[in-house]
Order: sequence, then structure tokens, then C-alpha cells
Amino acid sequence: MPLLGSRHHTLIQALLSRGPLKEDDFHNMFSEITGKSPGTHQQTFNDYLRKMNMELSYVQFEMRACRNQYDGNVYYGVVNNVSDEQSKLGTKYTVPQIAFYKGIIEAIVQDAAVQGCISDIDALNVRLENQVTETSSQSQASTSQVPPAFRNFSMSQKEKTLEALVQDKWLSRTPDGKVGLGVRSFLDLRSWFRSTDIPACDVCNEAGVKAELCQNENCTVRIHQYCLKRKFSHTRVEKVCPGCGTEWHYILPKAEALEEQNNANGPTQSDPPPEASKKKKLRTQKTADVDDVHPGSLQASLHSSETRRITRRSARLS
Amino acid sequence: MFLFVFGSGRMATTAENFSQFDISEEEKDKLIAEVIRYVLFRNHQNAGCPIKRDELTQLVTKNYRQRSLPAFVINEARSKLASIFGYEMRELQRSRPLSTNQGRSTQQNVADVKSYVIISQLPANVHTKYVENVNASHLNGFTFAVISIVHLAGGKIAEENLWHHLRRLGLFESNENHPALGSIKQALEALVQQRYLQKDKVSGPEGNTLIYELAERALDNTISKGVKEYISQVQFVTKKSIIWRSSVFYV
Repeated sequence: MPLLGSRHHTLIQALLSRGPLKEDDFHNMFSEITGKSPGTHQQTFNDYLRKMNMELSYVQFEMRACRNQYDGNVYYGVVNNVSDEQSKLGTKYTVPQIAFYKGIIEAIVQDAAVQGCISDIDALNVRLENQVTETSSQSQASTSQVPPAFRNFSMSQKEKTLEALVQDKWLSRTPDGKVGLGVRSFLDLRSWFRSTDIPACDVCNEAGVKAELCQNENCTVRIHQYCLKRKFSHTRVEKVCPGCGTEWHYILPKAEALEEQNNANGPTQSDPPPEASKKKKLRTQKTADVDDVHPGSLQASLHSSETRRITRRSARLS
Repeated sequence: MFLFVFGSGRMATTAENFSQFDISEEEKDKLIAEVIRYVLFRNHQNAGCPIKRDELTQLVTKNYRQRSLPAFVINEARSKLASIFGYEMRELQRSRPLSTNQGRSTQQNVADVKSYVIISQLPANVHTKYVENVNASHLNGFTFAVISIVHLAGGKIAEENLWHHLRRLGLFESNENHPALGSIKQALEALVQQRYLQKDKVSGPEGNTLIYELAERALDNTISKGVKEYISQVQFVTKKSIIWRSSVFYV
């Protein structure tokens, strides 16, 4: 007996055909198709997701949600969880183009300012040679091992590839014209983020690609802008770093700022006692209360994606 | 023990038929998943070009020798594509043999070349409203226009003639930078690869001419039905306006 009906199929096909969709759009579609709004019928929505993911897991696909770290919007998409021979077919990009993409995303996540972007020039100057297989780390593996396609990848090819990647949402353009990660990368590379050393946001435990750093230079805590908003939205909460207790310069949105002024003093200037020992405990408990986006409702098969290498990206399936 | 080997048309979905293969449930599921993934990824990579049955068979025979296992796996994959995704894996048959072609020599009986395309099973209005990718509609429009032209020409048209009609639509053979389609020549060539059209060389008194013919994808029922309906609507509107005009005249 088939578990999924045409409503489920519509949702799945829409994501496969159109790519990642904003939460609002996805919710609206859901409301129109099922007659129930996810806002008021959360259980129904979760049931749908659960059922679809149960079936999709047969082919190692997953429907998941993630946040675009640049604007805080949640997006839904279908991702591939296993990198195998079949998925390697599923890309329209050539080998050097993929190496170029890999080089760019590595540069982006290493952005010291944690703004999750690099300039156009830096993107175009990414060297493909660094992406030659992970195993060839000996010093002898010099230019002889670099495929000619990598060496001959011209600047104009890089420019074209960059635009195509932005168009296809693997990369994005920030308002000031820099190059950042695209929604597809956020959806797809979750396991890669975890496997590399990108520090996670203290609040939601997702990789802090674009986040704010603690004022204290010695403190490594970073928190997403939208997580800060949630955390500090209550005026009574002390706006300090959860790691070292240093005051966190948080600029409230206007309405809340006015309310702040009307109240008594804001956060104290003196340093409260450091809570370093509590930090680790807090981190693991954080996942419970935050982001309802976090796949408690989705069947996240993260264990299989942990070991995935990034040699090809998942397909945009049509 | 006798093994009953059924023809490839039979849906071997029951447990009894599965047990003849002597592979575990997990292996079976793994094979089926592989075929489904292959179909989906390849379909994306090829922008909808048909996938040959041979390619799928190979996925099974690569590691398994049982003779009717490929057919079983492919059938199961088809069934799962429908139940999980709502996609139909439609079989295309090359119903017409390729015209004599100097370049190509094919040993196979042409009718045996089976290939598949992925088609959504959703009702058309639902598909248009929720699933259709508006960024790709220019390609659909082009495909439809070209098929309609060839159809109106009787199912085959000389290259010269086709370009004559395309030029009237503002599509020129020399145009490499069309804002939506890029190279028009390549866009046309893509239709050949997707098996909407096929190219044949015909030798005539004035030398060789290139003929474009409707191929199996365009001859598929749903598409040819849609094209005919569309064309007849255009004629109907024209007729109607003539009748209206003449009735006004008599009043």
C-alpha cells in the first residue's frame, strides 16, 4: 500500500524541480495543497515531513530545512545524503569547475571576520591546484600531478563559473557584492561543516559561517545574528557572552531599544564571573530549545552523511 | 529446481518471484535504489535525454549474473519512482527504423532500443502551479514551437525549410547569443539528443539534404495529443473570427 499520495508527490517534485524554497513559500504551498496551514497544524505538517523522509530514505535522499545565514531565512530542500557513483553523474559542472567551487567555499568558511564572504578578486584567484586529491600530500606531488584541465582553467572560465554557481544558488552575492555561500550549500554541506573545524554557533550549534564574534579576543564564542536576536530579545536577559561573560555589544532593533531606555539600567558594565566551566555543558543542551528548524521533526540521517567526502555536489534534480 | 523466467514485461513484485534470485533483501533494495538514483541523477545531467535500458541493465549485471534479475530490478525501480516521487518512467520505443544513413551502422534491430524518460504523474494544472520551474520555460516553449512546425509539415521537414520558419519566429541559425536560448543551433541539436527530433541525410538529385523528423519522444501520445490540440485551437480561433466577421456583415 503506497504511503505517499499526490500531495506528497507535489511537494517533493516541487523541491526537486525548483530547487530550495523559502519557508514561507513552502508553507503556503502546503496550505494550498492540503488545506491546512503548518502554522496552525504543526502536527500535520510534521507528519507529512516524516512520511516523505521515510520514503525518500530508501534512495538516501532527505527533505530538510536550513537557515540562510546571511538573511536568517529558513529554506526547505531535498538533498542527497550519500556520495556514490550515481550522484557523481548528477552534476552539470565539470571537474575543474567543482574544484573551483570547493576552493571558494573553503576560503569563505575561513574568512577571519566571520562574515562568510570573500571578495570577487579573492574568489577569482582561488587556486584549483590545492584541490587535487586529498591523498596527494607529498611534496613530490607537484605540477606533474595537477590535471591540465586545472592548469588551463582561465580567468574568464572562472568568471563564467562563478556566475553560474550564483545563478544555481550554490553561491550567493552579498549586498555589498562579495561572494558568499548559497542556499544549496547550506542545505547540502551541513555534514561537511561538522567534519571541518568551523566553530559552531553557541546558541543553535550549527556552523557559524556568518556570525558575530565575542568582543573578547581570547574568547572563541560566535553567535549568529538571528540567534542573538532570539537570545537577547528579552530586556531582562544580560547581554553578555555565554562563554567568558564579557559584555556583548548587541544593537537592538529600534522598537526594543526604546523599551530598553524606558526600563532601568541596561546590562552592568562590570564583568560577571566567568562561566567557562559551564560552557561545554550548555553547548550540548542548547539544541533542545532553539531553532524549531532543527530537524527534530525531520528524519535526519546524519550518521551516513558524516563520512561523505565532497567530491561532487548533490544534484539539482529536475 | 525449476526457475521460471518471465518476459521483461511482467511485473515480478511478489515474494515468490523474488526468492528465485538468491540475493538478500538488502542487496535487492540496494540495487533498486541504485537504479532509481541513476535514473534521477542522469536525467538531471542530461537535461531530460532518454536513458537507455541497457544503461540500467548494466547496473545490475555489473555484479550479478542472474538472468532475469535486471528486469525485476528495473520494474521495481519503476514502481518505486512512482510511489515515492510520483514520477512515471515512460518507455519510448523507436517505432520507426532509422532511414538509411551512411554514417551509422547498427547491428541491433532498431525496435529493440528501449529508452526511458521521466514524466510527472501529477495533473497538469497542479504541475504548472507548483512544480514547474519557470526558469526553464523558455526551453519548453522552444521545444513546443519546433515540434509544432515539424508536425504541421507532416512529421518531417527539410533543414532549410525548418530554419525558414524559425527565422519568422526571430530565431536565427547564426545566433549564438540569444538572451534566453544561447546558441539556437545548439538548442535545436539538444532536441535531437532528447529524441524529440531525429536527423536523416537523404540523397536527392541536388545532393544530400538534411531532414528533421519527429522522433519517439515527440510521437509519444501525450505530447502529440497536446500539439494537435494546440494547433487545432489556433485554427478554431481563426475560423471563429471569420464567421463573426461575416455575420456582422450580413446584419
